[in-house]
Amino acid sequence: MIARTSLLLLLPIVAAFALTRRRRITAVIGMATFSLLLSGVYLLLYAPDVAVTEAAIGAALVTFIYVLAIRRTGRLVVVGDEAPGLLEREGERIIGLEHAILTGFAKHLGLDLVVHFLPSAEARAVLRRGEADLAAGGIVARHLEEGLRASSGFLETAFFDVAGPGPHGAEAGPPPSPTYFVDVLDAVREGRQLTATFDLARFLALSRLDLSRYRVRRLPGTEQYVFALQESNTELARRLEAFLLDLRASGRLETLRARYIQ
Amino acid sequence: MRRVSSVLAVAAVLLIVGLCAALLLLFGYDGPAAHAGAPYLDRAARDTGAANLVAGIVFDYRFYDTLFEILVFGVAVLGVRFALAQEAPSATAEPIPESRIVRISADLLFGPILLLGAYLILHGHLSPGGGFAGGTVAGTGLLLCAVALGADRVAAFLHEGLLERLEWLILFAILFVALLPTLLGLAPLTGLLPRGVVGRPASAGPVLLLNVLVGAKVFIGAWAVIYAFSRHRGEI
Repeated sequence: MIARTSLLLLLPIVAAFALTRRRRITAVIGMATFSLLLSGVYLLLYAPDVAVTEAAIGAALVTFIYVLAIRRTGRLVVVGDEAPGLLEREGERIIGLEHAILTGFAKHLGLDLVVHFLPSAEARAVLRRGEADLAAGGIVARHLEEGLRASSGFLETAFFDVAGPGPHGAEAGPPPSPTYFVDVLDAVREGRQLTATFDLARFLALSRLDLSRYRVRRLPGTEQYVFALQESNTELARRLEAFLLDLRASGRLETLRARYIQ
Repeated sequence: MRRVSSVLAVAAVLLIVGLCAALLLLFGYDGPAAHAGAPYLDRAARDTGAANLVAGIVFDYRFYDTLFEILVFGVAVLGVRFALAQEAPSATAEPIPESRIVRISADLLFGPILLLGAYLILHGHLSPGGGFAGGTVAGTGLLLCAVALGADRVAAFLHEGLLERLEWLILFAILFVALLPTLLGLAPLTGLLPRGVVGRPASAGPVLLLNVLVGAKVFIGAWAVIYAFSRHRGEI
């Protein structure tokens, strides 16, 4: 009697728990728990066959199918190259201003944030193909190709030409090369030939190395770092704008900037 | 607005579940109907030879219904295969690295889950379980492996073509068992195997055989559907 009553009382509580969860995987676990409890109720009502079936299908098989579906849809997939202070690896962890903003955004949407590091150009190509939701890592609106849209800016930046060592570095560099930024850092450490334009975050990281043999020129004007989305993804763009606006209005963006950007 | 509708939804669910709970508590298993079943149990055990009344009903009294249930399941699997065969398999994206917790628990649980599935199938005429539940349990075990290792690696072990042929073979075996009495000139769907002593492992006529066939069919079918979905709709 006590077991029966407590199981029956638990059912609506677990159901309400599953219904009110924002994070999908938690909701699914709630539903699995519900099925398991229900299976217990069937057992106590002398219906062991139904209990076995409920446990096998409701608690196990259906849960698995949901988990598989969530792995595809329950993630906010962000691609981009490392940009010091914005999106950078620190051992196993990822840190930076962009990462902090995106973590908050993913939580706001009830999704799990997944970051894949790719060279900047490749990251944008992946985004255009629809294999990712957002591109980050020191992007400015000017760099975005057709089919991509920019969010509003969250941090000011400027651009710097770095050329040398050697004679033919004076002209403006080609667009950001399709390599990882860590490789660029290695090239500068070894004093290899380099002609490229860097945004402020990357340039600050470069300037901690010895740049005396390179010619450095600040390009005129300032720009804003943005996130890139697919042009067609208006829903995500709308929600990201709302989130950024709220972040700015509440002053939390200032706090994050102060924490990650010196 | 959204908040209001979700509160309403929760309230509705609470109300429905609460009502059901109240009904169960008031009339559930202590009600007047609860002990009326004993004569049926005795009678069914004598008729079918199955200690588990449900197995007796599913594979003896109501075998005709079960037959079509199996066919419906087979057609559903076939439908998924055909519908998805027309779509190009999605390009395999970078496999999602699964956490160590999932991989180790999959290693530990795969054997016991398969064993439980086999037990439910082979013991289905004596205790709760049977082909449908047992096949699902075993299929879930395979699914766990697919989550931990990736569907393609599991599929490589399984020989997809062989599985598909086996599935057809099972379907025809079930139809054969069902039609054999008619072919021999007996009453339709008569159990041809001896009923034996109720409660013995070898009892209940064709129930054990049918449980094994249905279990294998559900096992293969569940895997086929999930694998088809995963291949055409992105990674597992």
